[in-house]
Amino acid sequence: MTEISLLQAINLALARAMAEDERVLVLGEDVGVDGGVFRATDGLLKRFGPDRVLDTPLAEAAIAGLSVGLAAQGFRPVAEIQFAGFIYPTIDQLANHASRLRTRTRGRITCPMVLRSPCGGGIRAVEHHSESPEAMFAHIPGLRVVIPSSPRRAYGLLLAAIRDPDPIVFLEPTRLYRAAREDVADDGAALPLDNCFVLREGSDVTIVTWGAMVVEALAAADEMNREGVSAEVIDVATLKALDAETIIASVKKTGRCVIAHEAPVTGGYGGEIAARIAEHALLSLLAPIERVAGFDTVMPLPRLEDRYLPKAAQIAAASRRTMEYA
Amino acid sequence: MIEPVAHFEIGYTRCLDPAGKTVAELPEFARDPSKLVKLYQALTRTRAFDARAIALQRTGRLGTFASSLGQEAVSVGTADAMQPADVLVPSFREHGAQLMRGVTPSELFLYWGGDERGSAYAGPREDFPLCVPVGSHAPHAAGIALAFKLRHERRVAVCMFGDGATSKGDVAEALNMAGLWRLPVVFVVSNNQWAISVPRQRQTAAATLAQKAIAAGMTGEQVDGNDVVAVRFVVGTAIERARGGAGPSLIEAVTYRLGDHTTADDASRYRDDTEVSRHWPEEPLLRLRNYLVVAGHWSREQEEHLLQETAREMDAAAEQYLATPPQECETIFDYTFARLPADLAAQRESALAAKHAAESSRPPGGAAQ
Amino acid sequence: MSSFALPDLGEGLQDAEIVAWHVAEGDHVVADQPLVSVETEKAVVEVPAPRSGRVAKLLGKPGDRVKVGAPLVIFEDGPHADTGAVVGELAAGPTPAPAAAPAVRALARERGINLASLTGTGRNGAITRADIERAAAARGSGEPLKGVRRAMALNMARAHAEVAPASLWDEVDVEAWHVPDTDITVRLISAIGIACRAVPALNARYDGKSMTRELLAHIDLGIAVDTEDGLFVPVLRDICNVTPTELRRKLTVFKEAVRNRTVAVADLRDPTITLSNFGSVAGRHAALVVLPPQVAIIGAGRIYRHATQHGGGVAWHHMLPLSLTFDHRVVTGGDAARFLAAMADDLKRPELPLSRGSHVQGD
Repeated sequence: MTEISLLQAINLALARAMAEDERVLVLGEDVGVDGGVFRATDGLLKRFGPDRVLDTPLAEAAIAGLSVGLAAQGFRPVAEIQFAGFIYPTIDQLANHASRLRTRTRGRITCPMVLRSPCGGGIRAVEHHSESPEAMFAHIPGLRVVIPSSPRRAYGLLLAAIRDPDPIVFLEPTRLYRAAREDVADDGAALPLDNCFVLREGSDVTIVTWGAMVVEALAAADEMNREGVSAEVIDVATLKALDAETIIASVKKTGRCVIAHEAPVTGGYGGEIAARIAEHALLSLLAPIERVAGFDTVMPLPRLEDRYLPKAAQIAAASRRTMEYA
Repeated sequence: MIEPVAHFEIGYTRCLDPAGKTVAELPEFARDPSKLVKLYQALTRTRAFDARAIALQRTGRLGTFASSLGQEAVSVGTADAMQPADVLVPSFREHGAQLMRGVTPSELFLYWGGDERGSAYAGPREDFPLCVPVGSHAPHAAGIALAFKLRHERRVAVCMFGDGATSKGDVAEALNMAGLWRLPVVFVVSNNQWAISVPRQRQTAAATLAQKAIAAGMTGEQVDGNDVVAVRFVVGTAIERARGGAGPSLIEAVTYRLGDHTTADDASRYRDDTEVSRHWPEEPLLRLRNYLVVAGHWSREQEEHLLQETAREMDAAAEQYLATPPQECETIFDYTFARLPADLAAQRESALAAKHAAESSRPPGGAAQ
Repeated sequence: MSSFALPDLGEGLQDAEIVAWHVAEGDHVVADQPLVSVETEKAVVEVPAPRSGRVAKLLGKPGDRVKVGAPLVIFEDGPHADTGAVVGELAAGPTPAPAAAPAVRALARERGINLASLTGTGRNGAITRADIERAAAARGSGEPLKGVRRAMALNMARAHAEVAPASLWDEVDVEAWHVPDTDITVRLISAIGIACRAVPALNARYDGKSMTRELLAHIDLGIAVDTEDGLFVPVLRDICNVTPTELRRKLTVFKEAVRNRTVAVADLRDPTITLSNFGSVAGRHAALVVLPPQVAIIGAGRIYRHATQHGGGVAWHHMLPLSLTFDHRVVTGGDAARFLAAMADDLKRPELPLSRGSHVQGD
């Protein structure tokens, strides 16, 4: 086992999936010869050939639509959208087709495709390259939304996503691509979808988060720990279908909850989680549910980006607030 | 000094004129009268289905329906040119093609009547269900054709859409990819001159829709869409070209929408009735019937028998559809994913509970006191 | 509306048979669009529309012969409603509910006033409390019928409008078995069962609209039960296959349930014939109301003592008055009389017939 980055974990998982199952295809812009602008698909063309790794023309909607056709015919396409800022043209194909084929044909035609894309800010990028669109996809019935937060979870969840018989949007936190590093065994073992991961156990407050904010949440938990507050940190990982049970059990235990996400607060997925907690654990709550999230503004350009991104300090402050009630 | 670097030419094919007279040498298959009779029967069957669907809609027993009146030859000619192992990716107005491919009239009634089982075709298992968001199925056809190519299968995808769809980005992207990768796909544009209320002249400045193929690097041609012999010939040639590895084509079948856009549309608001009247003499059934009658291959008795037989078939299909009870409410959930996730299972439970509560409070049979 | 007749088809042909319609009622057609295919002696001919318009009615179906010059299609004239949609059906929307504050609505409910019947005098046409009180005063101190009483009023009015009632009366000597002050319902039920089997025409369902009569194999007997709140008619199902003990038990259960207002809606539905034992209170004969789709109702009056010839002298015998009202649209006087006679014969017997008793499983 060697320590690798989240990006390398993605690359390993893709290679493993393609080696195991000849139906798995990789397609997208610059994924072949260039190995992907982030090198997520590095080496795959050389290893598996141009019939398995396809450089497509610049056409996001068609990349998604092509994947629908390929998946219907029994392939397992893993399409890459270069940046989440360019993912919006695919919403039509995902919402109107990929997510519906199984149900509208009563199971006769299915769509086992994965659409993966780097998401999130904090990389001092030019406009449109810092999007967090997960709530839009989570709202589409028939679609799963998965966001890994570590190399091991990226490896295991991507394998699970590729093996799943239904369509999945797999959003990879760009700023963790190289920053997150850990030992990952290339053993082909998938991690379970539709499951939260309790990364750290605690008894005073539950911090619920996903993606790059997981790092901030763990840092905040460390800070709270020094103050004698025991925080439980949950990585949602599969936003849809949500494992509400784990979250609710945790809040029933701690009585306090802080939900953190980078995406803008209004209409963000944190609202859904807060509603479920209110529905099922209201009588356990000692304090109002807190949300730490982005402003309802476009992510500012690099010079002000830092003022937008929620950080560990804000999560810690929110946790402290919840401790003040009772 | 400007030098021309590209030229193109769009050809037009017609075999039978509106009166049913031959204006070009008939293709090989058309010299067999029984083959032409089969095509005529398919055209009549399509029209009978269409009429029955409208009648059902008018009596509140079918939802909004898009009639294919006048465009039957494009559908029938195209589907007849396909092999069973080919895959059809239709829009929402190709009932004739779907029927020829083995989708049953009662399956179609079920779909338009609002039941998903109508898309679970027992016959052509790999054909796509019809597509509502205009043109968004063109990339699917390209993907299917790519699958055939990757697996080295001698199969062709056939994608059908209307004149309006040619303005969609999805279509341009799909044509481009198909041309680039020489995919085994044939795109058939059923140009019925109207995209709801927008006439063809206000849809694009291009002189023909066929020439959009040129921009994608593939063959483009026009055919008289009301001449089923010509359609069958041109589409058949393109399909076999694709099957042989020579790449995709775009065929613009020029026809006319004789009905409204859908049963909820009132075309007289934007279209003059006299214009429609002018196009009736060009309709596809008339010309083929005239040809067959004059050539001595079709009689009064056969016409009567065919009309009665298709009416009977559609009556039986309508009865079957009307006798099919709606699905249970659980089916709303059961086909969303391969396995039901926990939170969706909880919603399914609450739907079931609501169903049982409604059933037990409803009095059994009998009129109200 | 204007009609379009089958045009002259030429060659001296007088008529043609409709083979297939190409349009449906409600379709908008244009001139020259084929309307229908008709078969003449020579060919199958398509008849085109003479003009554009909306098809109101098709006169004839495939197989019908139509004469040349006879009307074939009715066209609608005049403007038609703009559907204003390309897909789906847009409901027109509900008629706006009358505006009234919550307290005003509560008052209306209390007074039994229907808000929709009022014009409001308040702001922007809202209904006020004064409007409610005024409406209540105008109606008088009468209390609007609700629930069971309301249902009875509606049902009886409907019966009166539909049924052609006729009545037959008789007296039955029940001295052989009658014990004063005991409930005779079970014997009445048994007699009705026997009479229905003898004359099935009185245990039937009649639909006046379609003029169809269905004789029913099972006998579900409605038993009229009188309460403060009004008339309830619980139904004993399949009386011929229920033991007397079970009948007695069921009757008791029903009476309790009616008294407590716990009787199930299912138990009040679809009697095939009804019995009113009004004699348990008072009254001798009655012309009762037949409630469609039933065709008969039996009334049992108050048992009285009557001097009758017996042996060589006079004896006082208990007599049970019987009334039978039947729907003469579908039941003959003869059937009614035979029915009554069968009941009377059974009611004269000292005991319940053995065949009834043989259904008993450990009675």
